[in-house]
Amino acid sequence: MAGRIGRILLMGGAIVCAPLALRAQTTPAPPAATKVTQITGLSGVKNKTKGLLLVNGSNLNFTHEQLKVDVPVNSVEDVVTGNDSQRAIGGALGTLSMFAPYGGGRFLSLFRSKLDTLTIKYRDADGGLHGAIFTMPVGKAELLKKDLLAMGAHTSVPGEAHAAPTAKEQKQ
Amino acid sequence: MSLTRLRSLAFVGLVLAIAVPVLQAQSTTGPVKKMKAAAVKVVMIESNEIKLPAEFQVSLYEDLIAQLEKKSGLKAYREGDRNAESAADLVVLYTTVTGFKEGSERLRQVTTVAGATSINVHCTFTDASGKTLLEQDIKGKVRFFGANLRATYDFAKRTAQLAHDNFSPTAGA
Repeated sequence: MAGRIGRILLMGGAIVCAPLALRAQTTPAPPAATKVTQITGLSGVKNKTKGLLLVNGSNLNFTHEQLKVDVPVNSVEDVVTGNDSQRAIGGALGTLSMFAPYGGGRFLSLFRSKLDTLTIKYRDADGGLHGAIFTMPVGKAELLKKDLLAMGAHTSVPGEAHAAPTAKEQKQ
Repeated sequence: MSLTRLRSLAFVGLVLAIAVPVLQAQSTTGPVKKMKAAAVKVVMIESNEIKLPAEFQVSLYEDLIAQLEKKSGLKAYREGDRNAESAADLVVLYTTVTGFKEGSERLRQVTTVAGATSINVHCTFTDASGKTLLEQDIKGKVRFFGANLRATYDFAKRTAQLAHDNFSPTAGA
């Protein structure tokens, strides 16, 4: 009797849980946005603005609080990644630290954190050429670049230009 | 002749020796004659011989457009902008990188004297038909404070000043 009840409970549990599991499989996970700093170039965004960058469908989205800027991926003519570094202690505190006694500021400026850069060139609705530079944590730029190339962006870096099929090629 | 009088004569002579060439130079040079231009189209920076990182190229271009709009008094158009075709008194700015030395912000902060970033750019202003109006080499550098990309800002400021000094929407009117 106990075994039968156990089997019934198991089946009941399976029936209850199955739709949930199926729903989880069918709804795709929302793409994760990357925390970036927009150094320069994005229309309508001040230089050195922090925000979230995301390749969402056919657009590259940059969001900062209420501000949202979309760049159509098919208008992106070049995507290049690079690396850079920045002071571990930046901003006003970093500047003030330069006046610290006994070369303390100089010592602090030895500590730097590495970061990735993502540089894009794109055209606006009038055909005007724009360029934008983003910095982000190490390892994120290549992922964003792959996403952009997969959605139809282009790159001038040899060997990567045809790494992913462009949107036009996919249609054909 | 007393020693005091000799001294005062020598002083007057010295003042004249300095003042006359300065005044002469002022009277001969005069104000620079400006060329008429109401808008400038900026073509993306070329760096065929010098390998310039993409972020420097983009930063040069964006800073140049921002500074030209801010300082030159001309309307700045981007490369490929269809609105530029109908703009009156348009000049086109071509820029070619002729020298680039990427310094180090860390080295600048630690040593103060080393690690400067510098960029040399040959600028050519032409009219809409391609006739050269003005050519000049301009240097951008960051010596003490700031990131390497600040060199592009320095270059852009100088170029905007050059445009301001040589072009005006009201020149010749």
